[in-house]
Amino acid sequence: MIPLLAALPLSFAFATALLLPLHRKNLAKYLFLTGAFVPWGVFLLGGEGSEIVGGWTRMGGIEVAVGVYSRWFILAELLLFSIAALYSVVYFRGKVKPFVLLLLIHTGLLGAFISRDLFNYYIYMEVVSVSTFSLVAFPGSSEAKKAAYKYLMLSMISSYFFVFAVGLLYLKTGYLNLYLMSQVVTQSKEVAAAIAIAFTSLLLKAGIFPLHSWLPDANSAAPTPVVILSGITVNVPLYGMLLLSTYLPLSVQFKAALTSIAFISMFAGVGMALLQRDAKRLLAYSTVSQMGYALIGIGTGNPLGAVYYSFAHSIIKGGLFLSVGSLSDARGSRRLDALSYRGDVLIAVSVIALSLAIGGVSPFVSALGKAEILQGLTWGRWLVYLAGVGTLAAFAKLNYWLSRGVGVRVGGVYRLLSIIPTLLVMGFGLYLYRAFQPFDAVTVGAGILTFALLRLSGLTDRGIGFELPVGRDVSINAALYALFLLLLLHVL
Amino acid sequence: MGMTLVVKKTTTLVAPFLVTYGAYLALYGYASPGGGFQAGVILAVSAILLMTAYGPKQVKKHFPLGEVSLLEGFSGLFLTVLALAGLMFGAFFLNFLRPYLPGGTVVPFNVGVALKVAAAFILTFYLLSRWVDRD
Repeated sequence: MIPLLAALPLSFAFATALLLPLHRKNLAKYLFLTGAFVPWGVFLLGGEGSEIVGGWTRMGGIEVAVGVYSRWFILAELLLFSIAALYSVVYFRGKVKPFVLLLLIHTGLLGAFISRDLFNYYIYMEVVSVSTFSLVAFPGSSEAKKAAYKYLMLSMISSYFFVFAVGLLYLKTGYLNLYLMSQVVTQSKEVAAAIAIAFTSLLLKAGIFPLHSWLPDANSAAPTPVVILSGITVNVPLYGMLLLSTYLPLSVQFKAALTSIAFISMFAGVGMALLQRDAKRLLAYSTVSQMGYALIGIGTGNPLGAVYYSFAHSIIKGGLFLSVGSLSDARGSRRLDALSYRGDVLIAVSVIALSLAIGGVSPFVSALGKAEILQGLTWGRWLVYLAGVGTLAAFAKLNYWLSRGVGVRVGGVYRLLSIIPTLLVMGFGLYLYRAFQPFDAVTVGAGILTFALLRLSGLTDRGIGFELPVGRDVSINAALYALFLLLLLHVL
Repeated sequence: MGMTLVVKKTTTLVAPFLVTYGAYLALYGYASPGGGFQAGVILAVSAILLMTAYGPKQVKKHFPLGEVSLLEGFSGLFLTVLALAGLMFGAFFLNFLRPYLPGGTVVPFNVGVALKVAAAFILTFYLLSRWVDRD
């Protein structure tokens, strides 16, 4: 049953693609919605377990599984994709190609989250990436094309290095299946190098700090339904890191290096978010910072923390992009001072609630993630609290600007959908966490105070803007990737 | 319009043989070197050769864009349906035709992949030929 999670959306993707030459465009949305929702049935009926595709043995076949960790990723994916699917039916009305590409993203995400085999994982990660490139470029503006090109080049460079690392591991162990690999793997220089290369590639795809530069561009230029999914697409590389770290031996200093990178990413992301004047870029830089939190879970050998945190983050970020994206689509501008949620209670409530949630405030599910992350951390707990204050300051900035000015009319479906992530984040928080921490009020207060001080000093309004030609931009980032790779190879 | 008579004549003569070779690779690939992807590329090459010799417009007349994308979609759907059909016999992607056919489901898979790859390559060249000013 488990492979059907990926197979059914794929067959619906092909069926939807057929409608274009058959001149049956009007059926596209029904096929698309069926393909989007049908994996729910497989997920709910199938339960947990592991399976080898085609009834082969583990040594000869491809293993897929729904496990303790992956079920959270799959649940987040299904929830977020359902919202994005309903949104895109209205957004891409009368088109066919975006529906096909979105179903391919659906396939890729589910296929990556069920895979227990490195090469299979790589293939599905590529399915997600390639469909995302074309959807980022879909608006056709020069900004979108540039962002898609940059994302394509950087993502492809890291993909090739990743598949090289998979090849190295295959050479040393003779398997691609992670369980079998973990049975025979021994500590050696080649394995350590392969792990370092694979991690560097996945860090780029997850948007961790020095390698993040494609993420704000892609997230600000892509159409709104695609950006809603950005919260979950960055979880695919995270799941890969989780697989690598649970099945393969990571050295102590490598884990320490990952934790340090995570902290740097947390603060760099928050710092950049505070400086932005573009609402979507602010959210994108917040993703850079939030992925740092999840990476702490990997670095400290605490997968459950990483899983809970990224589960919470994907839904929260999806909801924020939905609300802010709808506002900016309606206004036709992404500048913070042009946007406002005045006169729109649903969007205002969801933006405020999700802003609190992203800071890890306690009735929401992200508080659980944060608590789990903190549990595994032996040093630098105060840094996590500090980054939380920074995140809340950045979102105080978002809310400050959105609560001023004149509101715009947002379509009814978009408004109704914007409240769903808020309810989900609240509901899962109450169901899973059930604790209320009064200390969070202090964090929120500190966040607002920080923003007020920064605003008084005039730092947050200046903005930073310099634009390189896209070719040079890609070259610089590729060089940065190479340097980072050397650094991680040095640490091992 | 297109290249010289020699090139045109040669490609017209070579193309049918390429199609035969592609079909052979797809149908017999389960037991010999070959397989769906290689067969598909060779099938596509026969059309691409004609496209370079006669110009894309001529070839598009014989293989219209709509028909090629129809073939692509159908072969993709065929592959997933074949994989899903294994479910009725026990497992996803199960080789349920093994007792009845040499190679079992591998043969229809190779044919499906060959058609899919060939259609995809031809479509790619159609799209690229929009930037070619010749012809």
